[in-house]
Amino acid sequence: MNYLQHRISSGVIAVIAVWVCWISYTQKPAEAFLFPRVIATIFMTLAIWTFIKALLGRTKTGNGLSLQAAKNMAPGIVIAGIYIFWAAKALGFYVSGTIAFFMLLSFYDPASNNEPKTWIKRVIITVGFITIMYALFALVLQVYTPRGMFI
Amino acid sequence: MKKILAALAVSLMGLTGTAYAGNYPERPILMMVSYGAGGATDFQARIVTMTAGNEDALGMPIAIINKPGAGGRVGWNWFSGEADKDGYTLAAYNVPHFIAQSIKGGVDYSTDSFEPIANWGADPAVFIVGKDSEFNSMADVVAFAKANPGKLTFSGAGLFVGHHIAALQIEQAAGVKMAYIPTKGGGAAAMKAVIAGDVLGGVNNLSDAFRAAAAGNIKILGIADLERSTFLPDVPTMKEQGLDVDNASVNFRGIMVPKGTPQDVIDKLAATVPEMFKNKRVAKRMKAGGSPMHIMTRDEVKAMWAARQATLEELLKGL
Amino acid sequence: MEFIYYFGEVFTPVSMLLLIGGTIGGLILGATPGLSPTMAVALLIPFTFHLTAVHGLILLGAAYTSTVAGGAVSAILLKIPGAPANIATTLDGHTMAQKGDGAKALQLSFISSLIGGVFGVILLIFLTPVLAQWALAFGPSHLFWLAILGVTVIGSLDSNSVVKGLLSGCIGMWLATIGFDDMLGVKRFVFHPSLGGGVNIIPALIGLFAIPQVITMFAKGRFDTSVEQIKVKKHPIGAAIKEVLSRKIALVVGTITGSIIGLIPGVGGQIAGLVAYDQARKFSPERAKFGTGHSEGIIAAEAANNAMVGPSLVPLLTLSIPGSPTAAVLLGGLLIHGIFPGTDLFENHPDVVWPFINSMLIGQVLMCIFGIYIASFAARVSQVPQSVMAATVLGLAVFGSYAVQQSMGDVYVMAVLGCMMYFLERFGFTAAPLVLGLILGPIAESNFVQGSMIANAQNGAFTYFFTGGLNMLLIAVAVVSIAYSAWSELSTREDA
Repeated sequence: MNYLQHRISSGVIAVIAVWVCWISYTQKPAEAFLFPRVIATIFMTLAIWTFIKALLGRTKTGNGLSLQAAKNMAPGIVIAGIYIFWAAKALGFYVSGTIAFFMLLSFYDPASNNEPKTWIKRVIITVGFITIMYALFALVLQVYTPRGMFI
Repeated sequence: MKKILAALAVSLMGLTGTAYAGNYPERPILMMVSYGAGGATDFQARIVTMTAGNEDALGMPIAIINKPGAGGRVGWNWFSGEADKDGYTLAAYNVPHFIAQSIKGGVDYSTDSFEPIANWGADPAVFIVGKDSEFNSMADVVAFAKANPGKLTFSGAGLFVGHHIAALQIEQAAGVKMAYIPTKGGGAAAMKAVIAGDVLGGVNNLSDAFRAAAAGNIKILGIADLERSTFLPDVPTMKEQGLDVDNASVNFRGIMVPKGTPQDVIDKLAATVPEMFKNKRVAKRMKAGGSPMHIMTRDEVKAMWAARQATLEELLKGL
Repeated sequence: MEFIYYFGEVFTPVSMLLLIGGTIGGLILGATPGLSPTMAVALLIPFTFHLTAVHGLILLGAAYTSTVAGGAVSAILLKIPGAPANIATTLDGHTMAQKGDGAKALQLSFISSLIGGVFGVILLIFLTPVLAQWALAFGPSHLFWLAILGVTVIGSLDSNSVVKGLLSGCIGMWLATIGFDDMLGVKRFVFHPSLGGGVNIIPALIGLFAIPQVITMFAKGRFDTSVEQIKVKKHPIGAAIKEVLSRKIALVVGTITGSIIGLIPGVGGQIAGLVAYDQARKFSPERAKFGTGHSEGIIAAEAANNAMVGPSLVPLLTLSIPGSPTAAVLLGGLLIHGIFPGTDLFENHPDVVWPFINSMLIGQVLMCIFGIYIASFAARVSQVPQSVMAATVLGLAVFGSYAVQQSMGDVYVMAVLGCMMYFLERFGFTAAPLVLGLILGPIAESNFVQGSMIANAQNGAFTYFFTGGLNMLLIAVAVVSIAYSAWSELSTREDA
C-alpha cells in the first residue's frame, strides 16, 4: 500500500471536486445548475472525507502504481494516445488502426524479435484484425469512418 | 451504365461550367437527425430517404445517424460547427424548434448557418387531454385556466420546440396563465404524462395524438394550424374555437445542409430531393404511419424560414 | 391462450429463416462493443421495409432478445458490456472467465437469460392489461425516488468501501450533467467542443470498462513471464443447467426484479441488471463471494436483463408509449406497416402481434442453443495472448465508440474516461457505481425538475414527493437499503 500515492490521488480528486462545486455555484442561470449543485456538494464532501482519510493513512483499498508498471505502460499509452487523438482522424481509421495495432502488438509481444516467423505472425494477426473490422463496420454496418488521406 | 451516365453528365456539366456536382454523390450520404431513434422525426426521416439509392433519385443511399439531446440543440450545434461541408452530410431540420432555440440563444446556429434543401412534412401541434378528462373543448380548458391561474398543468416535448411555441400562443390568445411542463425524451414522454394523468393536458404532435386517440387513450381538443387536418376532420382548429393561434408552431420537417456547401451540390440536391419525396412508396409508408406529408421546394422553405423567424422573434420577445 | 394458434405463423420456412438469421445476427451485433440493442434494432429497420409486417416483426423481435443476451458475451470475455444492461454481468462473469471458466460463465448466462426471458414474455402474454396500469402508475415523483433507490445501490455495489463507492457514483452523476441541460438547453461544464453532446452512455461504458483493461495489460510489460496462460476448462451443459436451477434465490430475484424494472417507462433495462445483482447479493447466503467469479452474480444479472425484454414492451403495445429507446425503434417498425399499437391492437392485428410475441419466445430458445453451442469455443478468447488482446480491445473500443454516433468526440471522451478510470481503479475505486451514477443522474434530475414544476402548480413539493402509497413505499425501500449498507459496512469493520 502506497500512502503517498493515495494522498496525492485523493488530493487531486478533492481539488477537482472543489472546482466542480465552485463552477456549479457561480454559473448562470441558477435553475440549470440546481441539480449539479446538489451533486457537486455531496461530491466535494465525500472527496474531502476520502482525502482526510488518506492523509491519516487509513485507506483500505487500492494498490497504487509501481514504477515498473508505469514504465511498462508508457509506450503503449503514447502509441494509443497518438492513434486516438491524432492519427485516427488524420490518416483514416483503417490505416491508423493497422499501424497502431501492429506497433502495439510488436511492442508487447514477448516473442523474439530476431525471428522472421514472429514478424510474419504479427503481420498476419494485424491483417486479420483490420479485415474483420473493415468487414464488420464498413461493409455490414456501413459506418462511414474518417478517411483521412487513404481509406 | 451508371459510369457512362456519370461521364456523360460530367462532360455536359463541363460545357456549362460547373463540373463538381456531376459526380455528386459518389458515395453514401449521411443524414443527422437530432432526435433519438424511434422518435417521430427519426421515423419519418428513415421513410422519406428510403428511396435515395434509386437511380432516379440520388443514386446513393442515405444513412441516418442520431445525435439526440436537449431538444435538438446537441445535433444542430454539431451540424453547424463540425459537420463536413461537402454535401455528404445532411441533417433533418425541425422548424420552429431550431429557429426558436437560436432566438433564445445559447446555441451556435441560426437560420444563417444552414441552407434548406426541401421540406417533407408538416405536423401540427394539437391540444390533448386524457380520455376521462372533464375537458371537452378548448373553451373548457380556458375556463378552468381562468378560474385557476397557473394550476393547469400540461406537458410538451421540451422548451423552445413546436409544442412550447403552441403552448405560448394558446396562453397568449386566451390571456391565461397555465403551467407548461416540459418533458425529457420527446413527444412520447409528454404523451405518457397525459395518458397516465401526471398532468391535466398536453400539447403533442398530430401524428402521435392521432394514434393515441384512435387507441382510445386521449381526446384531441384542438389543432394549432390554419386548417383542419385530413387525418382528423372532426377536430376543430384553435381559430374556430376563438383562440387566435396561427400555424407558427406547426412542426415542419425537412432536409438541410450546412452553409458553405458548394452551390452546385445544393442545386443538385434541391432539384432531386423534392422529387424523391414524391415517390409513391414513400407516400404510402408515411400515410400508413399517420404522418402528414407536405412537400416544399428550397425556395418555399427559404420563405417559410424567414416568415417563422419574424413571427417567433415577436412571440419570444417577452421571455 | 389465443397466442398458441399463432405459433403456426412462426414455423413457416421464411419465418424460421428470419428468426434464425435474426438470432445469430443479433448475437453477433450484441457482442460487438458499441452496438446496443437499440442500435442493432434500428439498423434492421430498413430491412423490414421489404418484408411483410409479420416477417419484419419476427426479425426485430428475434434480434431484440438476442442482442440483449449477446451483450453478455463481450461483457464476460472482454469485460466490455455491450449495453448498460450487461454491466452487472462483467462483475462476476469476467472474473470467472479469467479463471478459465469462460465456458461455464457463458453457459450460465445463456441459460439464465432463457429462463428470465421466457418468464418476461409469459408476463407479456398473460398479464398485459394489468401490467399496463402498473406502468402508468409511475409518475415523475416515483421515478425520482426510484432513481434515489438506485443511488442507494451504488453504496453497496463497491463491496470494499462504501465511501469510495458513493464517491464514484457522484463522479458519474457529475459526468452526466456535462453537455446541454435537457430541460432549459443551457450548456453545463462544456470545457471542450467534444463535450457538447455530453457524455454518451455507450462510449462511456466502453471507455470505463475496456480501457483500464488495456492499460493493465500494457502495465504487465513485454517480458513478463509471471503471467501464465489461462487454462480454459470445458464445462458440461448438464452441470450448467443444474447450477442455474440450484441457485434458486439468484434466479428468482433476478427474474422478478428484471420484470418489474423493465415495466417502468423511462428507466427500462439500463439498471435492471445492476439492481438485480445487488438484490441477489443481499439475499444470498454466500454474499462475500460476489465479485469473485461467483455464479449467482451472473445468473441474477442475466436473468434480470432478459426478463425485462417482455415487460418493456407492455406500455408500447397497449398504450403506444415506448418505455425504452429500443421500444421506440420497434414502434417505428410497427408504424411502417400501418399497425398502430393500442388497447385494441390484440383484437385488430392478432395475426401480427401474436407471431411477434411468439417469435420472442422461440427466439429465446434459439438464442440459448446457439449461445451454448459457441460457448466453449468463444471461451478460448481468454487464451489469446495479452499483446494481441490489448491491441484488439483498443481497436474495438475506438471503432465501437465511433460507430454509436459517428462522432470523433465520443472516441475522445471514451479514451479520456478510460484513462481516468484506470488510475481511479489503482486507488480503490470501481467502475460499476460510476456508471450507475451516469445512468441515474439524468433520470433523477429530469424527474425532479418535472415533478417540482407540477408540484408548484398543485399543492407544493412536499405533498407531491412525500405523500401517496407508491412514494412512501419507494422511500421506505430506499431507507432500508441505506440502513442495510451502513449496517454491513459497520459489521465488516468489526470483523477486520
